[in-house]
Amino acid sequence: MKLNTEFMRETFIASLGGVPKTFLITILTLLVSIPIAFSMALSKLENKNVSSKIVTGYVSLIRGTPIVLQILFIYSLLPSTLNYLIKDVFGLSYNIFKMNKIVYAIIVFSLNNIAVLTELFRSALGTVGHGQMEAAMTVGLSKRQAYARIIIPQALVAALPNLCNTVIGLIKNTSLAFLMAVQEITAISKMKAASGYYYIEAYLMIALIYIIVCTVVQLLFAVIEHQLSGYKKRLAV
Amino acid sequence: MLKVKNVSKAFKDNQVLKKVDLEVEKGDVVVILGPSGSGKTTFLRCIDFLEKADGGEIEFDDIKTDLNHASAKTIEKIRKKSAFVFQNYNLFANKTALQNVTEGLTVARKVPKAEAIEIAKKALDKVGLSDKYDSYPVQLSGGQQQRVGIARAIAVNPDIILFDEPTSALDPELVGEVLKIMRELAKEGITMIVVTHEMKFAQDVATKVVFMDGGVVVEEGSPKEIFTKPKEERTREFLMRILPDFDYTI
Ligand SMILES: Nc1ncnc2c1ncn2[C@@H]1O[C@H](COP(=O)(O)OP(=O)(O)OP(=O)(O)O)[C@@H](O)[C@H]1O
Ligand SMILES: [Mg+2]
Repeated sequence: MKLNTEFMRETFIASLGGVPKTFLITILTLLVSIPIAFSMALSKLENKNVSSKIVTGYVSLIRGTPIVLQILFIYSLLPSTLNYLIKDVFGLSYNIFKMNKIVYAIIVFSLNNIAVLTELFRSALGTVGHGQMEAAMTVGLSKRQAYARIIIPQALVAALPNLCNTVIGLIKNTSLAFLMAVQEITAISKMKAASGYYYIEAYLMIALIYIIVCTVVQLLFAVIEHQLSGYKKRLAV
Repeated sequence: MLKVKNVSKAFKDNQVLKKVDLEVEKGDVVVILGPSGSGKTTFLRCIDFLEKADGGEIEFDDIKTDLNHASAKTIEKIRKKSAFVFQNYNLFANKTALQNVTEGLTVARKVPKAEAIEIAKKALDKVGLSDKYDSYPVQLSGGQQQRVGIARAIAVNPDIILFDEPTSALDPELVGEVLKIMRELAKEGITMIVVTHEMKFAQDVATKVVFMDGGVVVEEGSPKEIFTKPKEERTREFLMRILPDFDYTI
């Protein structure tokens, strides 16, 4: 089999144009889901009442269903629901079907990511011994201060390796945004491929771009972790 | 100065504390002895509200409250007047030795940073850690960590320090350095309640020894009374087990 290298070069360059969109979806999703997941993890730890049961139910629901199914569900349900709300309930004239498809992608990935991150943060918060919280109380810190200054900084460092995996998983999952007609890396290459039936070439280029992007993200996390975890090192700093 | 009365606490149907009373005068070193599981830790934790007692009252100088229904404000006041030294140190792992000590000053008591650092350095000097200001807890030995724990406690200038078996997580050769500091604190007249199995410390330093068993105070008195002529059979049995050469005169 002979690969069409000229096509590969073209596809690579064209698909790179999708990278910003991939990052945009990833970053906005993280910005939405990290704070929500963190507060859900905290509420699960702090109060064993109704709200933590709801959180648990939500997490099981999302983790128990394939993300493709979540995408299909939301993408079929959300636009018409929003349309109904806007037109019939609030009486506005905004055409929801003209809204940028990226918004749906971000909503789906956030809903999914919140569930993943809630579990991740909960276990990370659990790695910081309860004793430090108690010690903070005895020196007069409020619970909020103890979380902000002692517990959360350590939990974040503990969460970094898993967070890195989750972010990489998210980046790879954004390729599914083509199901929602978002023009990101995968969608662009697929379109190019379809024009000349060079599927293998296109798929190779998609793989290459994701490998590059994911490696960069991994390196970034390694640097951050190194910066933040100085207090864990036994050798003098 | 500190009076706690009728402290009761159950975990599920395990009644751990059954109406425990304790009185502490300024300058007292109260040592609480007792077999494992007798409720010593739980009692100490109830005083500092780390555990919520089912019943009981506390009177701490001018603060007076029910242990079960204390308001957040009152709890904060009592915590700011006291300090706690834990069996397993519980140092803030993400803070240096110095930051461990300043935390309660700058954040909880709004002491200006420069002043807090001065106080913290003095506290660390006092426990012999002048060369460890910038070390993180993982970089310190158990004995050094516990000394940071003590520095963190004394830095806030508390009216009382509660010690829960401060040396029992330490290797035997490190116990001495911590006890030495506690002896010095006692000599300076710092009020403390100490749960410990270090009998020598109790005999030498305590102004009052309290023997707990099964969630009640079985007996209390001066070290001399408890160690040489205990009144209660349970106290005798305990001392005989823990002090091989214990002999008492009836
Ligand atoms: N958080 C808890 N939940 C349930 N039971 C507890 C809890 N903390 C303590 N207990 C129980 O309360 C009893 C008293 O425990 P406590 O730790 O106060 O004893 P102690 O006198 O400090 O013992 P030791 O000398 O071993 O430290 C024990 O039976 C223990 O199992
Ligand atoms: Mg104990």
